[in-house]
Amino acid sequence: MVSYPRSIRQSLYTLVLVPLLAVVAAVLLLQHFTAAVAPSHITIGMLAYALSATFIRLLIAYALALVCALPLSFWVTHSTSAERVLLPLFDVIQSVPVLAFFPVIIVFFAHYGLYSGAAIFILFVSMLWSIVFSLVGGLHSIPQDIKSVGALFGLRGFAYIDEILLPSIFPYLITGSLLAFAGGWNIVTVAEVLHTYLPGATASSDIVGIGSILVHAAASGDEQTFGIALVVLIATIALINLFVWQRLLKYAERYKFE
Amino acid sequence: MKFMIYSKYIKLSSTNSNSGAIRLGGVHKQYAGVPQETLKGIDLAVAPEEFVCLIGPSGCGKSTLLRIIAGLEAPTTGAVEKPQELSMVFQSGALLPWLTVEENAMFGLTAAGKSKKEAAKETRPYIEMVGLAELAGKYPHELSGGQRQRVGIARALAVRPKVLLLDEPFSALDPKTTHELHEDLLTIWREQKLTVLMVSHLIEEAVSLADRVVLMKDGAIKETFNVPLPYPRRENGIAFHELVQKVRAAFFA
Repeated sequence: MVSYPRSIRQSLYTLVLVPLLAVVAAVLLLQHFTAAVAPSHITIGMLAYALSATFIRLLIAYALALVCALPLSFWVTHSTSAERVLLPLFDVIQSVPVLAFFPVIIVFFAHYGLYSGAAIFILFVSMLWSIVFSLVGGLHSIPQDIKSVGALFGLRGFAYIDEILLPSIFPYLITGSLLAFAGGWNIVTVAEVLHTYLPGATASSDIVGIGSILVHAAASGDEQTFGIALVVLIATIALINLFVWQRLLKYAERYKFE
Repeated sequence: MKFMIYSKYIKLSSTNSNSGAIRLGGVHKQYAGVPQETLKGIDLAVAPEEFVCLIGPSGCGKSTLLRIIAGLEAPTTGAVEKPQELSMVFQSGALLPWLTVEENAMFGLTAAGKSKKEAAKETRPYIEMVGLAELAGKYPHELSGGQRQRVGIARALAVRPKVLLLDEPFSALDPKTTHELHEDLLTIWREQKLTVLMVSHLIEEAVSLADRVVLMKDGAIKETFNVPLPYPRRENGIAFHELVQKVRAAFFA
């Protein structure tokens, strides 16, 4: 039987409410993940703590990226005239290196004391476009007859999105999300080391996370901590790939058109 | 067959008929950026419970005409009168790959707001009618081409249409499956008292199934052929062969 949420209410709950609640919960939780950990004091518990902090940041950034990417991709593909204008614009924006924004973003968030917010925002930007372009590709690949089935049986608006578009682009959503997370893990080492971008700041301005541990360990020549943190990071990514992405990719096969 | 006369001043109208009749008056279709009109003033009337087949070369506008009747596209100008209870079978089957046979078949009912339980109950006879009761829990990728097309037919019938539109439904199937589905379609047509309008590119198929064969060329109706042969039609019979030759001559003229 179908496990895909089929009603509008279920879809809104899954795609909007859950990520938003996750954001609120995680922001409250992240208040505890502020000061970075000095490499010399690293324990396995601290590594797990840092990894959790990084992962929660990635999840929040992903949830925000997903919430923005879905309407953006529907908007772009809604009409050929919208696509003609917006797609090249998105292409230019996504071509600008995300780290080029970072100094400005950090200053803004640091002004309000939201250091984790700066990291999350930069992760969000790095994840957004992978999902948007993947979804746009997915929306283009829906066969005309499938769209016609929805129209023939009177589906309009949210019902049409819910019953036809969302399931149709599910495989592309998984691929885009996988790429987004890969990009997120890449950026995370930089995103957690804030002091290099803040005028007059020290390492105490950095935020706790596996990325900041790696950078601090490398900078202080603590090879043992660096090695352990790197192994933990690689193992985490490999396990997520094996138990989450590979399974989702396999499950998404059912949603593909022949 | 009485053709409706439509005013030239009616730019576009779409009305509902209570019977299974379809009436088209002066239907034009011009796509943006395409210099030639796809449809050039189509006048066509299909009587309730009649089986009409539209044939013609690729790009002559027959599928566009069907999509306009289905309400999937709007004519540029012209009038379309059709019943609200209308359904369609697509060339590709157009099954939703994430739904089972049963869920696909009841899609029209659930889309109309019926509960899954109610829709399943109403759909069951149609799944049985097309011989797929044992495959109700299977997904489209687990079915053969013929079985998928049967699901498409069950889905179209489950909404209890007065008019069934078919857009080259058998073009991708092998001859044996096509023959079986032809027989099934004729049975369903008679039992359900449907008005059927089918697009085909095969002259033999059209003469074998339809009461009337309508030949389209370059966006216009060129000729109409009545098929006065009794069912089941003997495709190796002389009358059948002569009619096929007559349609073929007009097709290639």
